[in-house]
Amino acid sequence: MKSLLDTTIWIVLIAHLLMVLAAAWRAWRGENSLSRLAGLDLASTLTIAVLVIISIIRASILYIDVAIAVAALSYISTIALAKYISDHKVF
Amino acid sequence: MSQMLQVSVPLFIVYLALTGNVEPSNLVIGALIAVGVSLLRPKMDLPLINPKRLPQFLWAGIRYIFIVAGDVIRGGISTARIVLDPKLPINPGIIAIPSGTRSELGTALSAHSISLSPGEMVVAIDDDGVMYTHCLNVDGSERMIANAQSLRKNLLSRMFE
Amino acid sequence: MEIILQLVAFLLLVLGTLLSIIGVIGFIRLPDVYTRLHATGKVSVFGLVFLLLAADILTPLATWKALLLIFFVLAASPAVSHAISSAAYRVGIPLVGKRDDLKGKMERGKEKE
Repeated sequence: MKSLLDTTIWIVLIAHLLMVLAAAWRAWRGENSLSRLAGLDLASTLTIAVLVIISIIRASILYIDVAIAVAALSYISTIALAKYISDHKVF
Repeated sequence: MSQMLQVSVPLFIVYLALTGNVEPSNLVIGALIAVGVSLLRPKMDLPLINPKRLPQFLWAGIRYIFIVAGDVIRGGISTARIVLDPKLPINPGIIAIPSGTRSELGTALSAHSISLSPGEMVVAIDDDGVMYTHCLNVDGSERMIANAQSLRKNLLSRMFE
Repeated sequence: MEIILQLVAFLLLVLGTLLSIIGVIGFIRLPDVYTRLHATGKVSVFGLVFLLLAADILTPLATWKALLLIFFVLAASPAVSHAISSAAYRVGIPLVGKRDDLKGKMERGKEKE
């Protein structure tokens, strides 16, 4: 059971890294700016997932702190960019 | 005073969850930070929770959470079926759904729980509380959202009256 | 007891990863911004929450922080998708589909790019 769980976690990590690449590719080749922004948001969500998986592999709580910080930053920056694109000002 | 309590108690719980130790010195520091931050809050009129109706409030809140979870799971399964279908059978569009409540908090909570379930997403809210919702499948979603909204409206009015 | 917990964590990991993969496939296949945002919401709700529940079981110290992150993700993801879709409608990106109840109620710019 233990070795099965270890193998599964590594497979899950590789799958998430491939998905980050796919989302970043879609953000690079998007057809308009909001579509690219949605792609970047998806990529940052998957980055949080990668950090959570690393914290499972290392059995360490530190990476979840990093994940909380990344989540807060990506939330604020995505909303600020969306508002900037639509209104041409942030506040 | 009670408004300050409603802001500072959740802040205190978040502080304890982040630091994760319950020594007395840490408790004191957390309480001071929570009270200090809640003094900095902007003017807002949160609806006050009557202490006598607290059990009723909690019961309605738990039922609300379970209803939202059911919506999320149902929407997730239907969206997964649409995405994995090779023909991609979507019929997207924006439909108008009246939220039925006048209060801003009730409208915001309804919009949050609609947007949380995959397959529906609130694009705009006008001043009368009508939520313009983008759906992946217009025909199926309209009646389902209207039913769910009437259920939610009952619970929300029971929570904040 | 421990083996049951590990089995539950295994199922959560596999289920969350499968739903994330479905969400990314939907993000690549769906035609326009508004429909794509449904797929991103699915990744953040199902994929991330299931992974965090698995982390909750497998990493003993992380319980409260993982629950806090679950709460934050559930509170933030609808706000993000609403902000992007509202900005897209206001900039004037056309939407696929016939029915549009919002037409004429909000001023829209002309799409530039």
